[in-house]
Amino acid sequence: MELGGNGGFHGYRRLPQNSSAGTKAPEISMELPPQMNQTTNTNSVTDDTECTVREQDRFMPIANVIRIMRKILPPHAKISDDAKETIQECVSEFIGFITSEANDRCQREQRKTITAEDVLWAMSKLGFDDYIEPLTLYLHRYREYDGGERGSLAGEPLVKRAVDPGTYGFMTFPPVPFPMAPHHGFFGAPPMNGFLKDPSNAGPSQAAVAGIDPSPHCKEQV
Amino acid sequence: MKRAGTYSGILSGGISGRTGPHLLPLARIKKIMKKSSDDVKMISGEAPIVFSKACELLIEEITKRAWNITVQGKRRTICKEDVASAVITTDTFDFLVNLVLDSANSQDSPRP
Repeated sequence: MELGGNGGFHGYRRLPQNSSAGTKAPEISMELPPQMNQTTNTNSVTDDTECTVREQDRFMPIANVIRIMRKILPPHAKISDDAKETIQECVSEFIGFITSEANDRCQREQRKTITAEDVLWAMSKLGFDDYIEPLTLYLHRYREYDGGERGSLAGEPLVKRAVDPGTYGFMTFPPVPFPMAPHHGFFGAPPMNGFLKDPSNAGPSQAAVAGIDPSPHCKEQV
Repeated sequence: MKRAGTYSGILSGGISGRTGPHLLPLARIKKIMKKSSDDVKMISGEAPIVFSKACELLIEEITKRAWNITVQGKRRTICKEDVASAVITTDTFDFLVNLVLDSANSQDSPRP
């Protein structure tokens, strides 16, 4: 594959440790477009050399970085390629810097997992106090968004009885208006594993009523 | 549990190259976090999300400062030196000083 000398293709950027920068370092994959920001490109050669990490993996995708920069710059502003790359490197350095501090704290407190709080604490300690408030807001909004999604599922009064929320994922039928009258026997077939804990349920299998396809493994009270 | 589609979409950043609601890919952030030191073991799901926003704020701040320097020099193109100056003149960016000076020193690495 042709190696382009294209200045915009940042895949060939020199790695600081690499002294023989002129050679084609085999561990740098050349085929991936800069836009690729997935983890799918993980076929790096793991030779245990210091350059085994591919360039794309060490930095944020440059397109994303540029997008963020342009958001706040006036439209006529231009950015040189090496400025973009420098900022790209700064971001990675920032992540490493904060993570180290957060990790130290975790180790001191004998915890294994770096949490969002650790990250925020580290940022505050290292002088990024101004970031804390917007980040905290962002995190709360994210938690609400995510918790709200879960909440809408879990809170759904699909079955107005004691429902085991653990098996909620199985609820495939729509909120059919079950009569809920105990003697109806409408819940003859609790769809999943005792999902419907209706003790008065004594009717025959009425699984078809709600359009439920009873799982083959569900044998209870059927 | 979280709804699989949403969360994994956020984590993976979208198959089509979009990064979902976050501007920076979470998986990449996680990778960089892991490489920062050998003994980083586990990372909660929210930590990359905080970083995604934090990196955005960092990029904005450096860019703004660099642009001010560009404007002072009556130019319209932010160059690497502007970024370096922005870093050097900001206390909280002390950890970046070596990086920007280093990249200035190894300017002569040839591109193939």
